[in-house]
Amino acid sequence: MTLASSPSRTPTGPQPGDLYVQKHVDYIKNLDSRRDELEYWLTEHLRLNGVYWGLTALHLLGHPGALPRDKTIDFILSCQQDNGGFAAAPGHDAHMLYTVSAVQILVTLDAVDELEKPGRGGKHKLGSFIAGLQDKETGTFMGDEWGERDTRFLYGALNALSLLGLLDLVDVPKAVSYIQKCENFDGAYGIRPGAESHAGQVFTCVGALAIAGRLDLVNRDRLGGWLSERQLENGGLNGRPEKLADSCYSWWVGASLAMIDRLHWVDSDRLAAFILKCQVSPFDTIPTLGTTNAVQDPEGGGFGDRPDNMADVFHTVFSVAGLSLLKFDGVLEVDPV
Amino acid sequence: MSGHGIPRYSSAGEKSQEARQQELRKIEKYRALDQLVHDKITAHEYTSETLQKISELLSDNPEYYTVWNYRRRVLRDQFSQAASSDSNETATDKVASLIKNDLLFLIPLLRSFPKCYWIWNYRLWLLDEAKHLLPLPVARKFWQEELALVGKMLNLDSRNFHGWGYRHFVVESLEKLAPEESGQSMAPEEFEYAKKMISTNLSNFSAWHYRTKLIQRLLNEKSASNKERKEMLDGELELIHNALIDPYDQSLWFYHQNLMCTFDPSVSDQTMAPNLTDSERLEYIRQEIEAIQEMLDGAEDCKYIYQALIDCTVLAAKIQGSMTSEDKGNVLGWLAEIKKLDPLRRGRWVDFEMTMS
Repeated sequence: MTLASSPSRTPTGPQPGDLYVQKHVDYIKNLDSRRDELEYWLTEHLRLNGVYWGLTALHLLGHPGALPRDKTIDFILSCQQDNGGFAAAPGHDAHMLYTVSAVQILVTLDAVDELEKPGRGGKHKLGSFIAGLQDKETGTFMGDEWGERDTRFLYGALNALSLLGLLDLVDVPKAVSYIQKCENFDGAYGIRPGAESHAGQVFTCVGALAIAGRLDLVNRDRLGGWLSERQLENGGLNGRPEKLADSCYSWWVGASLAMIDRLHWVDSDRLAAFILKCQVSPFDTIPTLGTTNAVQDPEGGGFGDRPDNMADVFHTVFSVAGLSLLKFDGVLEVDPV
Repeated sequence: MSGHGIPRYSSAGEKSQEARQQELRKIEKYRALDQLVHDKITAHEYTSETLQKISELLSDNPEYYTVWNYRRRVLRDQFSQAASSDSNETATDKVASLIKNDLLFLIPLLRSFPKCYWIWNYRLWLLDEAKHLLPLPVARKFWQEELALVGKMLNLDSRNFHGWGYRHFVVESLEKLAPEESGQSMAPEEFEYAKKMISTNLSNFSAWHYRTKLIQRLLNEKSASNKERKEMLDGELELIHNALIDPYDQSLWFYHQNLMCTFDPSVSDQTMAPNLTDSERLEYIRQEIEAIQEMLDGAEDCKYIYQALIDCTVLAAKIQGSMTSEDKGNVLGWLAEIKKLDPLRRGRWVDFEMTMS
């Protein structure tokens, strides 16, 4: 996901049912100040992803400067390991997932040149780390040296390398033919050849094909039909048949539909209404732990996976990005790839 | 991923001074443990004590992927130490016991965090080590037991895609590890397994999907004749028609769509009966349309039925090269019903309508 620019309008004074832009901005800005919560430390393995999710959400909400740029860049660079890849946090191991997030953040902040500074090894070192994880035999990618293979890593590799202008480091046609092997009769894609179709994997496979310039291989009507059936009566989208809706699929399904020009195959208004209900709203009353009382949520801000659930930054960015696809007022437009 | 399905509650009343202190103590303890493990790994102290600390840390936080990597490094070291034992027999026993204990350590974590990628992934790594380090019969026994484990996990959540993916790996490994003299495919017994899972819950599309894949394997492995393939197809059509007594279940219609691919010349080569003639295909589709029309009786509000009728009619036209005006009239009639019944996907149906004019 990268940002496309377009003019936007910021709503004035939150009303029930609105998008609470300022609340979400505050929620994201405060994430790093929650060091007195155990959860903060238990999620350290997601820190670099978290920065990407938060930063992207802030950009989409029209507050790109809400996180300090220099401090963010310093943090990202402190996560780089000797092999050129990036870890979730300083001292952790390098992995494809965080390396991709690092590239996305550096591109968003227009800071790729930082990699060329002495001792960093340049963008080619980073590119070589990614390229080294391609399985030469099948064309897919591993997450790290321990060998897990997943189309998430394949998409991530192509995404990061294309952002760096280094796609020629890998065998793109082989990666493309691997994706074709992940296609099922329903037109959708699974995590590996033979695996059941899954909307998250559809996003990674279609996104990778888009980057490779091979969307011609997608059976658009068949896949579009499967994706549009992800919309449920409550307006939300699920990831597979007969599962519950979840706000993050607003992005995985919505972006996939957008990439094959079928976003209008779901009901935008109903989807936007569902996403807004997943907001932690300052107007909600919620149960107090251990009692039967309900209180007004003192904090507010952020999105959960479903209405009335806890907010987290992962569901926040993919909810906001979903609204962005739907050209919702107050959110900047996003590039679905 | 973080935070799926956690209900929201207010912490307003809960965070007394004491609770806050308690949380700070927990943080301190967690960070100290984290630091300790990190230091020991940096110092290459690959001891049983380090392994124990790693276990504690992972039990607190199974998503901590770097610590799973630490665990791999410690175990690799212990494996190589075991291998330098005096006799081969002791070496094998030691490695086997290290692996066995580690597999046991993972069970409660898998049960509590069945959607954590890293645990499943680590377990596969461990079993791969068994494959490389242990005599075949010993390694095979470890893998054999995984089949029971993944069966249990899928009983707890029959749609867990980690579980289904894991099953795929286990079956693949067991087939490779099979003793030379038998060397047989597990497709028949897995087909029975998929059948059992479907009969427990007809909506389980994961099991229907598995069934599609297994049928292909079964037929290919016995180099089935065209006649045998047709018989399999007839059986599947009968099965799905019976299941569609409940026509509102999306999973069943996606399986139906899989079967209809058999009649589609552009993908039929990947299906269970690739060599049907065009006239056979048309005959099948005609029967299909009749059967589906009967389902409408009492389920006139079921959009999937109209959709299947349209898909079949369009497929027949694709084979024939054109659509009769009678068929076209039917399609437009069914489409009008769908547009009424399925306002969420109106854009899709309007697009389709345009292709008909």
